[in-house]
Amino acid sequence: MDVRTLSRPATQLLKTTRQTLPLTTSRGHKTTARTKRALKIAPHDSFLPSRSQPFPAADHIIYNPPSSEASPEHTPFIFLPANDPRREAIQRMRLASPEALGSVAGAASPEDDADLPPAMSYPRRRAQYNLTEDDMAEMRRLRNEDPLTWSTNALSKKFNCSPIIVSIAAPAPAEHKKWLEEKAERRRERWGPIKTQAREDRGRRAEMLYRGEI
Amino acid sequence: MKGIRPSRWGGQLLHARSSPATIPRRNFLASTVRCQSTVQEPAEDLIDQIPEEGETLPRKLPSPLPEKALQSAKLAALHSRLSLSKKIPLQTLARALVTPSADPNSSFNNANLAFLGSTIINYHVAEYITCKWPRLPMVIHYEALRAFSGPESLAQISRRWGVEAAAAPGEEVDPGLLQWTSNSGPLVGTRWGGYVRAETDRKHSFYRRGMSSRVVLDSDFGDAVDAGSVEDAHQHNHDTSFSSFVQAVVGAIYSHSGREAAKDFVESHILSRQVDLSSLFEFQLPTRELAMLCAREGFEPPLARLESETGRHSRTPVYVVGIYSGKEKLGEGNAPSLDYARRKACMNALKSWYLYSPGNKVRVPSDMMEEGAKPWKAPHIDIGEVI
Repeated sequence: MDVRTLSRPATQLLKTTRQTLPLTTSRGHKTTARTKRALKIAPHDSFLPSRSQPFPAADHIIYNPPSSEASPEHTPFIFLPANDPRREAIQRMRLASPEALGSVAGAASPEDDADLPPAMSYPRRRAQYNLTEDDMAEMRRLRNEDPLTWSTNALSKKFNCSPIIVSIAAPAPAEHKKWLEEKAERRRERWGPIKTQAREDRGRRAEMLYRGEI
Repeated sequence: MKGIRPSRWGGQLLHARSSPATIPRRNFLASTVRCQSTVQEPAEDLIDQIPEEGETLPRKLPSPLPEKALQSAKLAALHSRLSLSKKIPLQTLARALVTPSADPNSSFNNANLAFLGSTIINYHVAEYITCKWPRLPMVIHYEALRAFSGPESLAQISRRWGVEAAAAPGEEVDPGLLQWTSNSGPLVGTRWGGYVRAETDRKHSFYRRGMSSRVVLDSDFGDAVDAGSVEDAHQHNHDTSFSSFVQAVVGAIYSHSGREAAKDFVESHILSRQVDLSSLFEFQLPTRELAMLCAREGFEPPLARLESETGRHSRTPVYVVGIYSGKEKLGEGNAPSLDYARRKACMNALKSWYLYSPGNKVRVPSDMMEEGAKPWKAPHIDIGEVI
């Protein structure tokens, strides 16, 4: 009996303290003047006029917000058709100030590339046209004899061409393709749930990218 | 490349698919018991059933009588809100509000006006899109057409005009309300038929449905006329009914005020809306498509160049990649990985190719019908899609 009367107020005390005290303490600005003072922040430097030169300073442009991705509605120079008046206007501007806007499109030479950003390295199409009819026949013969040894990559190294050319010119026999597919399927079955989910998400991300959603 | 429907833009969830329904066909030879005059005409075998004066009509009509239009305040308000000409009578506007789902009799519903209006709207929108964005692929062209004058967009327009639907269509409701019901199954191809492909019956057989056949055989928006493909019959009927009012108003303006007035109305209510065409694109192999484009047009092959980067070893890096053909920059994209940034740059370059526009004020062929028009100068005509 005594224990119960003692314990009941104690539990109520605990409850009330939890209700009244917030988890994070914060102080509000109770008056208008304090709120205004608290929200008064100096403008960013990019909004202010340049102080580098003595008054009167030269005119300058403030880019705020800064430059963002170009709109696809802006057509690049070489995409303009021949009868578009913008083409002549840009050409005239480029002739007037070649250093500011880059010279008119011409043959790229190594010294011209110097002012361009560095090229990225990725597998891309480099047309060589170095294969003859006999090469193709030889490629097909090797692929049919032993598709395991003469894989796409092995043939592309041997004939100095891209693997895509090999897959077009000398496709593997159907049973070999089936065997490869089964092998890949067996490998996929060994994946755990995390890896499977990650692969699915990657595919979904690529689809979103192609729809322009990310 | 595929086009994304404007109604399926992000955030709008797809509706659950309901069970397929059969296509209701309009009976073209249905006899018209009612007639345009308010005096009921006796039919041969119904002579004994002519109602006496003061007696109620023997059967309830599906839509309000045309003469009631003059007493409706809603209808007069709608007429003046749309700034319609005095030449367009209120009775015509009342008829534009009666959809075939409420009243199947084509002498009293808006089917004929809506068909006339839809041809006028689609003609003006199509010529505008073709002249303004001459390089659009056909899929994107169809989706742009749908974004301007599809049933969903026109339903939105009529909602913004302040058109309200009657709770249930009938003789006694205000003629200023839209008369429609969704109980009649999906309304597909009910207006003036519409070509139903023979292969729609063979649901499970593979059939190639190419773009050229869509141009020739299918509806104005490249859709096959097929009731089974309607996902949400209620929403479909709602949009079709509300859009049929907009089409019927355009048809009424054309028949009462002429071609010029109809064109002005379409320009100010439908073509004045903004559509972001760059969000309609869905690419499949953008890098390859851009390489093919450069090869076709005789440009140097595209090369990705890293313009700037930040935080390469951090959790959230940003790469800015530009695509160059020789010294000319084609596009730019930024992403948290090098590969994505390159693909985005390719997509932006392709979009800027497809979205080429000769200018904001393009002349369309129907401008030549005006008196004293300047001589026609041929617009830019593109050779076609890349892949």
